[in-house]
This record gives sequence, C-alpha cells and structure tokens, in this order.
Amino acid sequence: MAKDMTLLWVTGSPPCWRVMIALEEKNLQGYNQKLLSFDKMEHKSQQVLDINPRGQIPTFKHGDNVINESYAACFYLESQFKSQGTKLIPDGPAEQALMYQRMFEGLTLYEKLSAVVFYEWSVPEGERHESALKRNKEALVTELKLWEGYLQKLGSGSYLAGPSFTLADVVVFPTVGTLFGFGLSPERYPKLGEYHNLLKERPSVKASWPPHWLENPKDQDRLKDALKDI
Amino acid sequence: MAKDMTLLWGTGSPPCWRVMIALEEKNLQGYNQKLLSFEKMEHKSQQVLDINPRGQLPTFKHGDNVINESYAACFYLESQFKSQGTKLIPDGPAEQALMYQRMFEGLTFYEKLNAVIYYEWYVPEGERHESALKRNKEALVTELKLWEGYLQKLGSGSYLAGPSFTLADVVVFPTVGMVFRFGLSPERYPKLGEYHNLLKERPSVKASWPPHWLENPKGQDTLKDI
Repeated sequence: MAKDMTLLWVTGSPPCWRVMIALEEKNLQGYNQKLLSFDKMEHKSQQVLDINPRGQIPTFKHGDNVINESYAACFYLESQFKSQGTKLIPDGPAEQALMYQRMFEGLTLYEKLSAVVFYEWSVPEGERHESALKRNKEALVTELKLWEGYLQKLGSGSYLAGPSFTLADVVVFPTVGTLFGFGLSPERYPKLGEYHNLLKERPSVKASWPPHWLENPKDQDRLKDALKDI
Repeated sequence: MAKDMTLLWGTGSPPCWRVMIALEEKNLQGYNQKLLSFEKMEHKSQQVLDINPRGQLPTFKHGDNVINESYAACFYLESQFKSQGTKLIPDGPAEQALMYQRMFEGLTFYEKLNAVIYYEWYVPEGERHESALKRNKEALVTELKLWEGYLQKLGSGSYLAGPSFTLADVVVFPTVGMVFRFGLSPERYPKLGEYHNLLKERPSVKASWPPHWLENPKGQDTLKDI
C-alpha cells in the first residue's frame, strides 16, 4: 500500500522522476515523500544514510523493503502491483524484447547526457579538458540520433516499445524531459520533440513534473541552454 | 528455442558472460554463437553492425527479437522461459526487492571496476591524471567494502539476494569473476572470495567460463594491492 511507502527525492533528478512516474502509473498516490535539496547536500544527511548507505536519491522503502536503485524500484512496483494501474510490461515477446532493450539503452542515454551537462560537477577542475567535453558532446549527438531513428521507425504517436506505454517510457522519458529542459532543439530532434510532447501530457508525468521547472528559479539558468547548440 | 538464438560474444566480457549464464540456467544450450575478438575490432565488424548499430558485444537475437543489452537479454530470457530451468526471479516481495536492488547496484560495481582496470582504454593519453586513477581506485575500494558488508550480513553460503541463486547472481557474478581475475586479494575481501568460490562451481558458470582464462590461468595483478 502507498501508506507503507516512503520516497526521499530531489527535484529534476531523472532517477527520482522514474520512480514517481511508476508510483503514479500503479495508482500508488499517497505515498510518504520528502523533497530534499541537492544543493544543501541533504542527500548525504543522516535520514538518507539511515536507509541508503550510498547517500543517494532516490531512496525508497516499501515496509522493510529498501529499493534505492530507480530501475529496481520500477521493476519491483510493476511486479508487486501487477494487477492495478497501467500494465507496464507487455506480454508479447517482440514488444517485451523491444521494451527491455530500450530500457537498458536508456541508461546509456542518461550517461551520455550526464557526461555533458554534469561535466563540471563530476570532474574536478584540474582534470577537465576541452577535448573530453567535446568528445562527450559528440557522443551525446550520436546517441540522440539513434533515438531519433528508433522513434522514426515506430511512427508518430508511438511509445518507445510500440503502441503502448511501458516501463521503457517510465524510465527513459525523464531523461528526454531533462534533455529539453536543458535546451535541446526540437527542430533538430523532431521525433524526440514529438515524443516529449506526447508524454508530457500524460497524467503520471504531469503529476510528477519537477516542481522547480514550474517555478523557474535562477539557479536553473546556468544549465537551461546547455544543449541548445548540439 | 535455442536453435533460433544467436549470440555474438567476446571472451572475458562480463556483459557477454551474463547472457551466457542466463542461457545455461534456462536450459537453452545449443544456441548459435560466435566468439569474436575485441583486439581485432571484430565488435565493429559488419556482422555485428547488421544486428547492433552500436557495434558492441554481446549482440543477441531470438528469432527477429534483437536484445543486445545484457540485462535486457537476461530479463527477457527469464520472462520468456519462466517455466524451464532455474527460477531466476523469486516470488516473495522481500527477496525480490533485494534481488532488484543488488542487480542495479551491480551496474555501479561494474562501472567502478572498469574505471580502474580500463582507465587507459577509456581515457586518451593527454587527458589522464594520477589523481583521477587514484580517486577511481578509492571509489572501487568503497564499493567492494559495501559488497563485503552485504555478503557478511547474509551469511556464508548465501547468494546475493538470499538463500537462492537469482538474476542478481547471473548479472553480478561476472563482475566478481573479473575482480579476482585482475588480482583482488581474497584475504582482504574474504566474503567476496567465498562467494566467488561458491559460484565458480555452479554448472552454468563453469560452462560459460571465459575460454582465454582457462588457457591462461594466471590473470593480472592490477587489483592486487587495493
């Protein structure tokens, strides 16, 4: 039950967003949640460390079951609540194969995105190189073109694994939302733009949309055009 | 059926090894397979690119279904062949939660390992820093201690998610195999050493043990002192 669940989260974090979309899709609204601040290092606070020794968010508990890895939480929720809400894993082998494949390619997409927009956060000043950032941007462009191709092949109005919304969309859409949040051009990436427009209207996505994107605080400005020219 | 499956793989690659263990556990021996050479850049050859535009291994097909991501292939195989071979996803919520959690922590474990043993493969010469490699080693030690703790808590003879072998072991054991191949000290990491000894006797693991590790029993000592 949602009342036995607790989520510690941060706004704008794709991993947190994945879990929130999954909770909405499985009709588990009403879970206990606490919005923490990355900037204030609250992900390293005792309340997080007590549940998650890695000091990372999301941090998620269902009763005594601790599942902090976002994909793990999504799989767990679909498995435990299979009979309620949206069916997130299709039965057909072909659609299932495509769903699993795209879910895990989604980790690569998120990695390539992070290597660009979080470059300065993850690499200490003395170790940064223009050549590395340039290469990371090229790798992200290659990755984005792959996803454009995937969506092109499936046709307009499609979800990532076919005609139905699946776990692939739960885990990958937050990365797509973040891409456009950081200024990716829908003119250059029209299929991703279409997919973004389709998903952003979905109730579970709207309900979990990062609150600070709605408020537009100043600290978002530094990164909001990070992907404008790629 | 195994006859409709094709796996293109490279020896000593944990992602390939994961899929091979899964195939064995689901009694799908007899699949079509081709051993390719990373050194000869065969992962970028046309036969791979025709199936996998990323030019990576493993590359796996079941009929027309292409599933190249190793975790994806493992999940797919368990789902499609649930009724045969070993049951890889437990029913109980607590065991399931722990299995999923360890599976995905396994990705972090693999990443931290690669950041040390493949540092020079990933980072061009002009961008390498002693400080970065040092930090990567410290991160790997932190990670290894976490896993020692996990195994300590579960007790001897346990698998990663409890008393039964699960998908967590399928996907994480290859990384453990790798750390010992690269010289990790079982004296310093006794719980991981025990787990390694337990799993290396398992039929599916023996059947898929990297052939070049059998030919060259002595591995590297990159991790000897960490």
